[in-house]
Amino acid sequence: MSLSRAEAVDQNFTKLVSSGQLPEAKTHVSAEAVTLSPAEIVDLFETQVMSRHLDYAARALKTRNESFYTIGSAGHEGNAVFGKAFRYTDMAFLHYRSGALFIQRSKQLPGSTPLYDMLLSLVASADDPISGGRHKVFGSKPLFVPPQTSTIASHLPKAVGAAISIRRSQDLGIDSEMPRDAIILCNFGDASHNHASSLAAFNTASVAAFQNVPVPIVFICEDNGIGISVPTPPDWIRTAKGHDPVIRYFSCDGRHLLDTWRIAEAAVEYTRRTRKPAFLHMKTVRLFGHAGSDVESLYNPVPQIERAERDDPLLHSARILLENGILSAEAIKNLYETMRRRVARIGEETIPRPKLLLPHEVMASLVPTKTRGAPPIPSEEKRQKTFGSDAKYMDKPQHLAKLLNWGLADVLLRYQNAVVFGEDVAQKGGVYHVTAGLWQKFGLRRVFNSPLDETSILGNAIGFAHNGFVPIPEIQFLAYVHNAEDQLRGEASTLSFFSEGRYTNGMVVRVAGLAYQKGFGGHFHNDNSLAVFRDIPGIVIACPSNGADAVAMLRSCVRAAHESGRVVVFIEPIALYMAKDLHEPGDGGWSFMYPAAHEEIPIGKIAVYGGSSSKGKKERLTIVSYGNGFYLSRQAARELEEKHGIAPKIIDLRWLAPLDEAALARECEGSEAILVVDECRRTGSQSEAIMTALVERLDPLPRLKRITAEDCFIPLGRAATVLLPSKESILAAALDVLGLGAAKPKKGTQAKVLAK
Amino acid sequence: MTKKTAVVVCPGRGTYTKTELGYLKKYRPRFAGELDPIDARLAALGQPTVSELDSAEKFALKTHTPGEFASTLIYACSWADFLAIDRERWDVVAVTGNSMGWYTALACAEALTPENAFTLIHTMGSMMTGGIIGGQLIYPVVGDDWRPNADKRELVERAIIEIGAVPDCEAHLSIRFGGYAIIGGNQKALDLLMKALPSVDEGKYPFVLVNHAAFHTPMLTETSARAFRELGSELFQAPSVPLVDGRGTIWQPYSTDANALRHYTLGHQVDATYDFSTAVGVALKEFAPDALILLGPGATSGGALGQIAIENRWWGLGAKADFTARQASSPVVLAMGREDQRKLAAN
Repeated sequence: MSLSRAEAVDQNFTKLVSSGQLPEAKTHVSAEAVTLSPAEIVDLFETQVMSRHLDYAARALKTRNESFYTIGSAGHEGNAVFGKAFRYTDMAFLHYRSGALFIQRSKQLPGSTPLYDMLLSLVASADDPISGGRHKVFGSKPLFVPPQTSTIASHLPKAVGAAISIRRSQDLGIDSEMPRDAIILCNFGDASHNHASSLAAFNTASVAAFQNVPVPIVFICEDNGIGISVPTPPDWIRTAKGHDPVIRYFSCDGRHLLDTWRIAEAAVEYTRRTRKPAFLHMKTVRLFGHAGSDVESLYNPVPQIERAERDDPLLHSARILLENGILSAEAIKNLYETMRRRVARIGEETIPRPKLLLPHEVMASLVPTKTRGAPPIPSEEKRQKTFGSDAKYMDKPQHLAKLLNWGLADVLLRYQNAVVFGEDVAQKGGVYHVTAGLWQKFGLRRVFNSPLDETSILGNAIGFAHNGFVPIPEIQFLAYVHNAEDQLRGEASTLSFFSEGRYTNGMVVRVAGLAYQKGFGGHFHNDNSLAVFRDIPGIVIACPSNGADAVAMLRSCVRAAHESGRVVVFIEPIALYMAKDLHEPGDGGWSFMYPAAHEEIPIGKIAVYGGSSSKGKKERLTIVSYGNGFYLSRQAARELEEKHGIAPKIIDLRWLAPLDEAALARECEGSEAILVVDECRRTGSQSEAIMTALVERLDPLPRLKRITAEDCFIPLGRAATVLLPSKESILAAALDVLGLGAAKPKKGTQAKVLAK
Repeated sequence: MTKKTAVVVCPGRGTYTKTELGYLKKYRPRFAGELDPIDARLAALGQPTVSELDSAEKFALKTHTPGEFASTLIYACSWADFLAIDRERWDVVAVTGNSMGWYTALACAEALTPENAFTLIHTMGSMMTGGIIGGQLIYPVVGDDWRPNADKRELVERAIIEIGAVPDCEAHLSIRFGGYAIIGGNQKALDLLMKALPSVDEGKYPFVLVNHAAFHTPMLTETSARAFRELGSELFQAPSVPLVDGRGTIWQPYSTDANALRHYTLGHQVDATYDFSTAVGVALKEFAPDALILLGPGATSGGALGQIAIENRWWGLGAKADFTARQASSPVVLAMGREDQRKLAAN
């Protein structure tokens, strides 16, 4: 039977160390030329061997169906050096070939058990001290390694955010996770270098550093020359990054421990001293394919595979130990075999360890638990001082944008670790002036403009949150989330889950969104689909319909982000920002008083308006809606009452996730008819979930109907609202579901521009 | 026959009691040559030899418990036991120890030659001849079932902080010893702790350890400095077997820096908490042995090892009853101070 590539590499090691036929050095660095003692060189080699045997163990356990992950670190063991060159308090965002790096780093912290922990992760045991059996990850709370899963460079933007947050936390005097002189380590492969997320991260790091913002990060590109089956053009990484005007380029031979150490030490020193970003290009090889299931010979000629195998970093390390007289061949082989047996024993010990078996066990860490309390509400004196000249208007009802502006000021005053950032949020005050004047009140370190790149805005928010901040990033328009959705979907929302709640990145992402804007249309500024958020487990989606709710909900959101690390998306209906009136111009029906400082609306709590005033009396109609839909439903309701004598109950969901289905059903119970008004597109919108919940929970089932936006993109100009529910169409639908034979709305009145 | 694997655990002070009198005599004959130099060194110093102490008719606090005598006596017993391990059956994959047991561990792992081991152990054991600095008391932090008990642990931690804050009081966590906390402090603090800690186990605890100094606390910082002056780096070398120290750091044979080993042994090991629980926990997880072999004298640390195994849910042990049952059927802690278990470990 032919050997697997892994077996071949394993046998080669012993054979070639015995025969002395070791690969020639590509780089010449002697042991005397580096700041490592012989014992330290052996220590690094030993780490490489530990990592390699973990790779073998992963494959051996996989054949027994006991391990579930075989993407290994073989060929990348030179990264052991980074585990030593960086401090363990330098937060590390690691890609999936970082076994040696992680082991070496753990050696800095007494009491660490890296082999056992990583084997627990491989067998997906609930005892795995980082993910609790949810994924094979490199991660550790005490070692400052937040877990990453299948990184495709999506961890780079947050690494940049974490780097920027270090100095910022000192400037603002907040309790940070990292020490003041920490730097960030972020490694990835050469294929990931192509990824939009990595390019976004390099760009943001460059733009910030170019403006002398400290960005102490070392990007480490571990270049094995191939991305699964696609070769990276030779010399491409150096060509692309070698002459970067801002990010200092370093290059080392990752097969050569001493060269890697020499260069890593220099890069770390550079970044720690200058607080500027560096790019460390480590050239290496990949051994035994991409993963256990990958048959490399299908796309890579065998001679080429064998060439890489002869360049095995472990063989290079053995040569270094021999040629510098540090260890004998026998000692090297003894170390190698002793470690094999040790790893195998630990592997056996981890197999029977408990696994996650039940849904609630798996889901336990989706929603993080409270780890810190909210700061006290600031004194009235401080608040008044913060509101400044606005204070005199606070006894008058205001529109949503103004109330949110005050709400943000209150939040920034109370939570000193809160920061507001995004495109245009500072001097311009945001596209809709919701953040107007905040930078003057709280300074540009807390309210700052970001480059126009949503991936970096959200990614940086994650990074800031890793260091103790509560970021409140703003995304200008809902449609702009889509190019950056992975930062929420794949990163922010998964952190608690994959770290069993050990890491959280609480944040409140404010998104100006939804349709009905006056004056113009166009899809990107009127996007009316929230589907991108709706299925993300654990996330909170807030969508206030009015200013008073918005402030009280915002306070709950920031509290949840601060106390429990919840990830919140806060949708602000653009069309209602400036709406003051409800029925007629000047009626002030949509202007609200600023809520008292302690007022909050708990997450999930729905609002109920109108309906029958007499207790126990059945409702004829209940309308369920949110956002603009709720506003329009209120308008339709008056007409329904005036013209048809039916005063419907109207429910404002406020929170689209988590949806309090039980409370919703309670409020709908007994109603003769229910109309769901959803301004979002028919497909994938919340009305699907609402209808389903009602059908599942109500018995007997009342008459049910929904009215939604059409499955179409929003056009420009006067046609901008024709696809959307309107007061008229809501009224017509209400009459229809009540069985009052409503006529279809007249052509052209399907929707009208709000408050025309 | 495939060898079984073991992590060897070297006991600390207080393990040679009146019931251990004659321990060396009983097990010594086969290793006379190994122990003679210890007697010779002590005789040259005009001190009672370990053989004399071991064959005394009576156990006397005055002669058997002061550090300068007890340390070498315990070391001699442990060393004899280590040499008695049946290497045909057992592969020793790592060595660890509790408190002064760390010095024995260094000797077993050959990080110290026998001569240097004597020098280190006798020197460190004699640090208090001019007067003992502070003292130690022991108190349980687990329930009767040996499961970790957060309330009890918190009680002890709070007591250390509160009494340590009383004027003229010093109290520190000296050793994390499985189900027990060993607290080091000055006399005033220990007196207060004796009153403050609720009496448990029919008045057995809190219990003051006789003739023990406040080792592994900052009260011994001066002692540490003296040790650095008296014990040079030439004493130390890389071990031949991995060592796990009182922080849970692993010292591997080929990658150990002897200077760093000295630095730990005379520094942190002397004046900072000795975390025996973590040491054993790391040994279990990172070496996955079939058993722990606890060297003599005595077997009192066996309970602590069982408690640490329970804390780590090792070998499927969840509580004291599991441990007791396992020890009766196929023991995982082999205390060489117990005849029945010694047979399984020694040749």
